[in-house]
Amino acid sequence: MISGTGSRRARQSAIRIFAQEYSESSLIERGAGEYDPSFVITKLGAKVNRCLVCGGLERMERRDGDSGPFYRGQVRDPSGTHYFDVAPFQPELHPDAEELLARFETGDSILVSIVGRQKSNESEDGGIFTSIRAESFTEIDLEAYKSWMVEAADATLRRLEAYASSQGAELNEEGLRVAGVPDDLVPGLLKAREHYSEFDTEAYRVWILKAFSRALGRAEETPEVSIDDNAKSVDSAPVKSVESADPRDVILGIMSSSGGDLVEYEDLQAACISAGASAEEAEDAIEHLRDITMEISEPKFGFFSSSS
Amino acid sequence: MSDQTKYANQIAVVKQECPDADEGEIGKEFARYEEDFLIPPEDALRSVIRKFQVSTGAEVTTNTSAPVREEKKVGRFSELGPEDRNVTIEVAVVSYTPRTQMVRGEEKQIAFGWIEDNPHEATSERVRWDYKDWGNKGESMIPGSIVRLEGVSVNEWNGKRSLNINRTTRVTVVKEGGGTAPPTGNETLTIARASEVEGFVNLVGRVMSAKPDVIVRKDGSGEIPIVRGKIADDSGSIGFLSWKAFEHEEGALVKIVGASVRKFRETPEIQINDGTVIEAYHDTSFPDITKLSESDKVSIADLRNGMRDVSITLQVENWAQRTYESQDGSSKVVRSGDVMDPTGRCRLTAWCDFDPKPGETIMIEEGRVQFWQGSPDLVIDSLEQVSSLADAPWEKIDPDNHWVEVGLTEMTRGGSRRGISTGGTIVAINSGSGIIERCPECRRMLRDGACSEHGAQIGEEDLRLRFVIDNGVSNANLFLGKESSESFLGMSMDDIKSEISSIGKEAFISNLRSRVLARKMAVHGRCAVDGQGAMLFADKIEVVDPNPAEEAEVVMKKWEVVL
Repeated sequence: MISGTGSRRARQSAIRIFAQEYSESSLIERGAGEYDPSFVITKLGAKVNRCLVCGGLERMERRDGDSGPFYRGQVRDPSGTHYFDVAPFQPELHPDAEELLARFETGDSILVSIVGRQKSNESEDGGIFTSIRAESFTEIDLEAYKSWMVEAADATLRRLEAYASSQGAELNEEGLRVAGVPDDLVPGLLKAREHYSEFDTEAYRVWILKAFSRALGRAEETPEVSIDDNAKSVDSAPVKSVESADPRDVILGIMSSSGGDLVEYEDLQAACISAGASAEEAEDAIEHLRDITMEISEPKFGFFSSSS
Repeated sequence: MSDQTKYANQIAVVKQECPDADEGEIGKEFARYEEDFLIPPEDALRSVIRKFQVSTGAEVTTNTSAPVREEKKVGRFSELGPEDRNVTIEVAVVSYTPRTQMVRGEEKQIAFGWIEDNPHEATSERVRWDYKDWGNKGESMIPGSIVRLEGVSVNEWNGKRSLNINRTTRVTVVKEGGGTAPPTGNETLTIARASEVEGFVNLVGRVMSAKPDVIVRKDGSGEIPIVRGKIADDSGSIGFLSWKAFEHEEGALVKIVGASVRKFRETPEIQINDGTVIEAYHDTSFPDITKLSESDKVSIADLRNGMRDVSITLQVENWAQRTYESQDGSSKVVRSGDVMDPTGRCRLTAWCDFDPKPGETIMIEEGRVQFWQGSPDLVIDSLEQVSSLADAPWEKIDPDNHWVEVGLTEMTRGGSRRGISTGGTIVAINSGSGIIERCPECRRMLRDGACSEHGAQIGEEDLRLRFVIDNGVSNANLFLGKESSESFLGMSMDDIKSEISSIGKEAFISNLRSRVLARKMAVHGRCAVDGQGAMLFADKIEVVDPNPAEEAEVVMKKWEVVL
């Protein structure tokens, strides 16, 4: 439905969220109308259309796509990795992206803050890969990063408390409100409780504690950008919403839902990782499908399509 | 779409009866009924035929062959044709949105919403249509319920069909729906909750005031007697407007069943119509009128556009009077000034010989609230409404240092206010930040050297900054005018101009981004809040330097986290 020309739509607030909570999400709410916002709804009921995330820049690269150059990157926070991109249709951000890329390529440790909109890809078996389409980003200093960690921890604890309150509450809006769930969390938490099965919230507390101890200066500074930490994290890839789906299924799912568009290598790999596979498994799966079963082809280097 | 094509079916029927009538006139008549009286063409048919029979001199027979149509019973919308009238069908009610419209000085309640056919089957097996309720059937059309509609008609407009529920339509509830609709059974809401909903409610409250009043019809055709007043419970109070006799006196405890809540400007009000039942209610533990009026005092933070009957205590900051020439040429005096209380500041306007001194504490009763430049303006019309208090109920407020701390979320959920300080993180820099050109006539920003109102203009340069401030739950547009921009950037407008001309606008914005993005800010200023969001006009903003260790301690304490 197209609303009247005079009406502004209320802007969505930027949810402070750690990477782990965001990446574990498998519930997407698509806006009904052309201009209605879409949301990633997390297990704790955060309804994310826009978010504010920070972390150590772990990867940054420019790519050339059919509709022009775009940028892709990852930032690491105490819980995991956020994936973000800057699209070809955001030329106003390209100069800043170039600058950030140049800074990244110097090899320095860089902390960045990103404001962006939710983005998600869905494979046919229901595996969801969430990422962020950047609206703006900037390099920040360590103090600002610590301060963000505290804010994100505060926001996560607030959601954890709401989640705990919702246990045993009647699962409707009024019921959650009566149980003490803050108004802004009610709709998301209601959907989350209907969609996700019970889960252990202890893991959340682990990286919240990590965030606090860094903010208090009790832990080593900025391990987010150290290579060791990076490598470790791949081994200890956390349990995802779709538990270790076969990466081949994930890839084929993406292919069939891509509507014939070419899909990038990085996207396929990221989706497999998000579905619980390691980077190597993802690589193997892509090669297997391309070279052995020939279910996918690579018409252009780094870009894949379904063979059928 | 012209009246002719929209009402083609009805016009054809009228032509049958009155062959001499002009089609254009007939169309206009139907349009008049629909627009002015909110009577759909199907219902207006008989009246329109009569009118043209009289005006064209056709014989008026009491037995016109105006369509008395056979009842048509169907199960699915797909069985209906575009001209079907007197249809009987069972449907599921998906939504019911009442809307009150003023028509020639009279309130008319109509409603619209969605209904689905095949209501006893799964949703996937159903077809959804729009409907319009012209017959005030809100008590039966409850979302979630299944109803049998007898005597509805199909309306086709722009190729889309919908159903009209008319006054003569019978609505029978086949299956009651649960759902989130306001209760129309016996369940009552607190007044605080009723103020948040729109639609029909039941509530129990004490009559705080009730006064006869009249609404003067704009067309000069007379006056409608009404009763205005206020009822309260321990959750709050709400104004009411009764279109029928209201026989309960001040202090009486009443139960009101089936009143509709609607908003006058930004203030909810309950409407008592013919269908509303008011009965005496007995509850000895219900707070009495003295206690309720005590808690009914408001503060500046509570003021909303359109409020009436406001009791409030204020400290006067300044006062001035102004003489102006009224429309009839006589000169009139209006007095106004800034007033404060511990929750903020606002303006006070007096249409009487009221001359308080700065610093004086006053109490106002039965004040009303209108808006002035997006902020509340309290208005009094007579000296009897105001009294001077010897002792302020609070310590004297220093006007030079009176900023009321308001969280960003509280601010966006409250009303427009002045004199607040709030905080949040900058998450966006909006376009139009920097040097802009304004129209010399109206101060609007020029786009490509032209004003939307006054055309091409030689603009006057101005400086402003526009950010979005956000705390993770709420956000507001933040505006900095010339002075606050200069002081925030630590540069004069001329310096900024020369910087932009040397490095370019993009680089200026990019520098600004690295300076403010993801930074926490403390803002002093005023806010304007409307249905679409909040705007914060800053007198002063400052970057809050992060102090993560301290922040972490606070948050850990709040959530009882121990490392």
